[in-house]
Amino acid sequence: MFLPAFVRDCRTATRLIERRADAALAPGERLRLWAHLHLCVYCRRYQVQSQLLSRLAPGLAAGPPPVSAELRARWKARIAAASGEVE
Amino acid sequence: MTASPPALLDPPQWPDRYGPELYHYAYRRVHNADAAAELVQEAFLSALAARASFRGEASERSWLFVILKRKLVDFYRQQARQPLAAAPEADPEEEAPGPLFGPDGHWLPAHAPQPWPAADAALEQQELQQILAACQRRLPPRQQLVFARRFVEEISTEEVCQELALSAANFWVLVHRAKLSLRRCLERHWLGTPPPTSAA
Repeated sequence: MFLPAFVRDCRTATRLIERRADAALAPGERLRLWAHLHLCVYCRRYQVQSQLLSRLAPGLAAGPPPVSAELRARWKARIAAASGEVE
Repeated sequence: MTASPPALLDPPQWPDRYGPELYHYAYRRVHNADAAAELVQEAFLSALAARASFRGEASERSWLFVILKRKLVDFYRQQARQPLAAAPEADPEEEAPGPLFGPDGHWLPAHAPQPWPAADAALEQQELQQILAACQRRLPPRQQLVFARRFVEEISTEEVCQELALSAANFWVLVHRAKLSLRRCLERHWLGTPPPTSAA
């Protein structure tokens, strides 16, 4: 095999893709990733799909379920019980 | 310094006065209703036990928040200690989220990303989001937490690392694994059945 290892190394490439989404890579990393993506259709897909995941994720920010009366009552009961122990 | 009278604190009123706010705060940080309820309860009980130390320098409310934040730190530490059956995460150098890649790091044929149809229609986006939500719930706890904080709540990497007491290396391992699993999960459940072979 005459090709450098990074040509096959999708594990590293996908890791670099994630890091690059956050901050600039070191020049060597950038070059290796560029070359890898040039040659690897799977990692090009991965990159697009990972970006889609990032864009979809904020939509998952559902508010918390409302605090039910039962939950409040449970908290109060625990506080009352513990207050008894403290005093 | 003399202690302010503990009368400043009104524990029986805490659940009504601060419960929802504390719960909301905790929920956004743990993304789990039961865990959030439990954390708020623990915060109340710790506050109660420590009420002699309340000096009235801060409001009752911010004092409770300080205690809740401590509980969250404990929670995160606990999560970090949890052995993970699904994927060994103890060693950040050990980069093997299941057998997605072969020994040379190349995608195994069964796991290589397939082309996805364009999902620009609003309906499809919504459907995708639902699948993504289900996939997220299936991640191991720490990956779920990191993904939720960084991508759902959009907190900066630095803040997430600090909050969850993670090294940058560990953070990236968790993000990488979470993304790999989510991508795979979405592909399986969105596209369904055997992946097409034609390029998009």
